[in-house]
Amino acid sequence: MSRLSSTQWIMIAVLVAVAIAIPFLFDPRGYGIRILCLALLFAAMAQSWNIVAGLANQISLGHAAFFGIGAYTSTLLLIHFGLTPWLGMIAAAVLGGLAAFLISLPTMRLRGHYFALATLAFGEVMRVIGNSWGGLTGGPVGISVPFSQPSLMALQFKDMRAYYALMLGAVVVVTAIFVVIKRSRLGYRLRAIKENEDAAEVIGVDTTRTKILASVISGMLTASLGTLYAQFQFFFDPDTVFGIASVSIRMAMIAIVGGIGTAAGPILGAFFVIPLEELANQVFSAKAAGLSQLVFGVLLILVILIEPKGFMAIGPRLKRLFARGDR
Amino acid sequence: MSAPLLEVSGVSKRFGGLQALSNVSLSVSAGEIVGLIGPNGAGKTTLFSALVGLHRPEMGRITLDGRDLVGLKPHRIAAAGMVKTFQNVALFLESTVLDNVLTGGLLRHPVEDARALARRCLDRVGISGISGKLARDLSFPERARVEVARALCTEPRVLLLDEAMAALNHAEMDEFMDLLRQLRSEGLTLVVVEHHMRAIMALCERLVVLNFGQVIASGTPAEISRNPAVVEAYLGRSAA
Repeated sequence: MSRLSSTQWIMIAVLVAVAIAIPFLFDPRGYGIRILCLALLFAAMAQSWNIVAGLANQISLGHAAFFGIGAYTSTLLLIHFGLTPWLGMIAAAVLGGLAAFLISLPTMRLRGHYFALATLAFGEVMRVIGNSWGGLTGGPVGISVPFSQPSLMALQFKDMRAYYALMLGAVVVVTAIFVVIKRSRLGYRLRAIKENEDAAEVIGVDTTRTKILASVISGMLTASLGTLYAQFQFFFDPDTVFGIASVSIRMAMIAIVGGIGTAAGPILGAFFVIPLEELANQVFSAKAAGLSQLVFGVLLILVILIEPKGFMAIGPRLKRLFARGDR
Repeated sequence: MSAPLLEVSGVSKRFGGLQALSNVSLSVSAGEIVGLIGPNGAGKTTLFSALVGLHRPEMGRITLDGRDLVGLKPHRIAAAGMVKTFQNVALFLESTVLDNVLTGGLLRHPVEDARALARRCLDRVGISGISGKLARDLSFPERARVEVARALCTEPRVLLLDEAMAALNHAEMDEFMDLLRQLRSEGLTLVVVEHHMRAIMALCERLVVLNFGQVIASGTPAEISRNPAVVEAYLGRSAA
């Protein structure tokens, strides 16, 4: 189990080859590669969310809080102190982890919908603070990342393919962290909590510490990705980075559609949801306001109704179907 | 006799208007198998829950090897060496049997060592053949055994079994009792809640009888079966 099979290695090799080839198929300054970058970023975000939600089944709807903290932290440090976004990202991770720790304390005992609602409220509190503390954040007007000479150090690039590589790297790192956690002591303990918290405690799992640890890791990663988002978009406001629909629910939705608790799920989900959203926007937004969101929402509901365990469950289901046919 | 390993003194627990345990005292020496019996609702499961820290008693002391356990969280009590199985069986249903048991081993070992230990525990309980199955696909007797294996994998000093033999047939029950005797001979101390009188009489050196949350008798199986208060509790006043 801890080793990958040869088929898995081949699949990974094919994926890497495809991932390297893809950016050369797109116009390096075009719209397509931007969507690709966003899809990769959201895949990494959904994967961070997956650590707590997928393994321990604590469905957070407040991860925008960490994301926004990350975006603002590195950007403000860059504006006021000229700090490179790489160090800004570390500061973002520290603050994101701290926020996750603090929100864990009151929400830890909550489960299911209660946990979801409490975290939702936390995200909203951060959005309201972001909008009203204008002196720090610039308020609802938003904030711009100052342009600097494009370089790796400045985490700014002219070529979209560089951003593509950056986002791909983020997906690989976060997915590797997810896989390592899943197979470690922490992963077993999170699954025990998910399936029976009392039994987990009785056989020696420190459920409080386990949940806090996972939340902090998830919060740190999400905040780091907030920094990447800021460096990618150059402009954002509280409603975007602390948004329920734009961040929190989208992260959850992507992981759920792809397959919650699996390593590949968030990646599959992101490459389904993000392009679909863009397509719905292009096709329907000219016809009537809100129609694209409606169509998008209906499609997602259909996916969830047909396969609640996400795309990752379709493979095994087909296998069973064929196995039955063989008899 | 040496000092008792597990000592419960004056433990009381109330749920709303129900006095679930009142002034319960008992002691268990190292290497004993003690049976805890009593009619339904007598407080046996509540006492177990209090012992492992799932319920906090309002009054009384619980000590393991002289260390006070009241107020500790269950995982601290597990680390101190006392675990219980659940009456209704509380497995991690979406995980395999091996992963269920392995999780117990993580208390004292890293993953790989815990996996090896889990295999040994499954072997001991006689269910290594089902280690790859999902817990959800098991029969009730199989589930009960997995739970025992998982508890053993925490390497406890005191194991509390809450009706682990329910739903076993006679042959399986004899086999299970042999396992418990063997574990005892290796130094494990056992407290067993069981409804099968035949099993409990054959297995335990000493019985403690609870009724309405109080200890009404304790002694050897022979003494208990002659005790008028126990007979009354089980069969009603007219039979006594």
